[in-house]
Amino acid sequence: MTFVWRDLPSHSFSEDEPTYYERPVLKEPVWIWAVPLYFYAGGTAGAAAVLAATAQALAGDELHGLVRTCRWVAAVGGAAGSALLIRDLGRPERFLHMLRVIRPTSAMSLGSWVLAGAASATMGSALLSDHGGLPGRLGHFAGSLAGLLGMPLAGYTAVLLGNTAVPVWKATRRSLPHLFIGSAVSGAASLFGLLPVDLSPREVRIVERFGMMGKVADLAAMTVVEHEADRIEPVGRPLREGISGALWTAARVLTGASLALSLLSGRSRAKRAAGGLLGTAGALALRFAIFHAGKASARDPRATFRQQRQPREAEANPQR
Amino acid sequence: MAAVGFFTDTTICIGCKACEVACKEWNQLPDDGLRFTGMSYDNTAALGASTWRHVSFIERPVPLTGQETGLGDFSWLLQSDVCKHCHRAGCLEACPTGAIIRTEFDSVYVQPDICNGCGYCVVSCPFGVIDRREDDGRAWKCTLCYDRLKGGMEPACAKACPTDSIQFGDLDELKDRARGRLERLHRHGVTEAYLYGADAAGQPGTEGLNAFFLLLDKPEVYNLPPDPVAPAMEAKPAWTSMAFAVLGMAAAAVGAVLMGRES
Repeated sequence: MTFVWRDLPSHSFSEDEPTYYERPVLKEPVWIWAVPLYFYAGGTAGAAAVLAATAQALAGDELHGLVRTCRWVAAVGGAAGSALLIRDLGRPERFLHMLRVIRPTSAMSLGSWVLAGAASATMGSALLSDHGGLPGRLGHFAGSLAGLLGMPLAGYTAVLLGNTAVPVWKATRRSLPHLFIGSAVSGAASLFGLLPVDLSPREVRIVERFGMMGKVADLAAMTVVEHEADRIEPVGRPLREGISGALWTAARVLTGASLALSLLSGRSRAKRAAGGLLGTAGALALRFAIFHAGKASARDPRATFRQQRQPREAEANPQR
Repeated sequence: MAAVGFFTDTTICIGCKACEVACKEWNQLPDDGLRFTGMSYDNTAALGASTWRHVSFIERPVPLTGQETGLGDFSWLLQSDVCKHCHRAGCLEACPTGAIIRTEFDSVYVQPDICNGCGYCVVSCPFGVIDRREDDGRAWKCTLCYDRLKGGMEPACAKACPTDSIQFGDLDELKDRARGRLERLHRHGVTEAYLYGADAAGQPGTEGLNAFFLLLDKPEVYNLPPDPVAPAMEAKPAWTSMAFAVLGMAAAAVGAVLMGRES
């Protein structure tokens, strides 16, 4: 007997694991390149603000150069980050609507307030703290405030991604904040190697130690993120395949190379610049990898379906 | 105002797409371009920024219960999909501008004069309903015909549906009607029939849908998620993780400054 519908799309219908003609369930993120770039800028600004506030509090007089550089990095990062986010909006002229309400259920709402506060505080500290008298004191106060706000600034973007329906982001919502913070520290310290500023040997040491801890945390968190994503096979796939997979591997290699370089002895300018270049490229590749992984994950209906089915089935058959 | 919604009974949908057309006409939605998907009779493909009703055409090599065909096993499933107006709506909870609100009819509505097109609702909807319109920059989805409700009329799709597959009304009454219909189908041997999203017990991740469905196969067959969850429900572990990570960063900064002191 011949079946006329053998050639119809229904031929691919799977009773075990059906999809609707392989069409995605979810909508792909509409965000553009400006968003992962902001993840980098905001992370760098946050980590720099934290280092500035810490150095100021512990040894402000002796680490003047470091504090000053950190504050400018944070200020530029905050301003550039805000500009990038406004660029990404569908209606950029309405950016102030972000500050219409505070919605605790929305990481983007809380993050907008954090960014607004942090960008103002970092800019204030950078502009004022070189002055004497009241403006200078205000500047140092703004620097401390920037240090406090810099902490959520570097991390909230990971929560923002984790609190979505996109399978790979949702699956890694516990480890993603560690990855973003690690990468923020690594990225900020790496940027110092590229800046034409003269730091004292002690300040160079501080930046290097800070960066090393960030790179180690970054590489460790990458493994945990992979592990969390791989619990359900199609969810972890974007971290292995396609553009996102390539960027993910690049991020690991670049950050690893940067860490290896900083473990070698010697503190020449050229060595620091090379390490800084590798670390910066690694931090950027990481944010773009996570971003593109989310896009690929949203396109895959099986990632969505299995992520929701698997816990249910595990509950039904606890012995497996 | 009492909560109102849709009960979409897919067993009596005939795939005429009158709902799609009525929705486009009433809401003056732009076309999506003339595309040929090559999949069944469905060239609409999905819900989107300018498509607020979408009829799915599912061709299955599986018979319906009690169905006899001349050429072997085959059956159609048809379903008119729409925004679910979730009790816990992912889009509403994600919206940073307050553009997305819950109306007096208990529907979820995007205020076009507030939305700034940030795109966060798009990734927060577990059903993939809401989307940003490219030429316009704002997010759009089904309004449950808010303007018609204000005028005491039912939504355009329900009005146009010739078989009453789309039923509009008071939510409690709709649920009673749906349970009655389900019972009747089960009595007639259509045992695979079930209600999707009718209450919080069946779908804890959304606490129930104001637009729920009667289906004849797994949700996945209709491109519906089997266990959708409003993302904010699972936010706590992410924030906790962030708090620890951030404290780690502060400790690293203190450590780096102190370690730099020696030698």
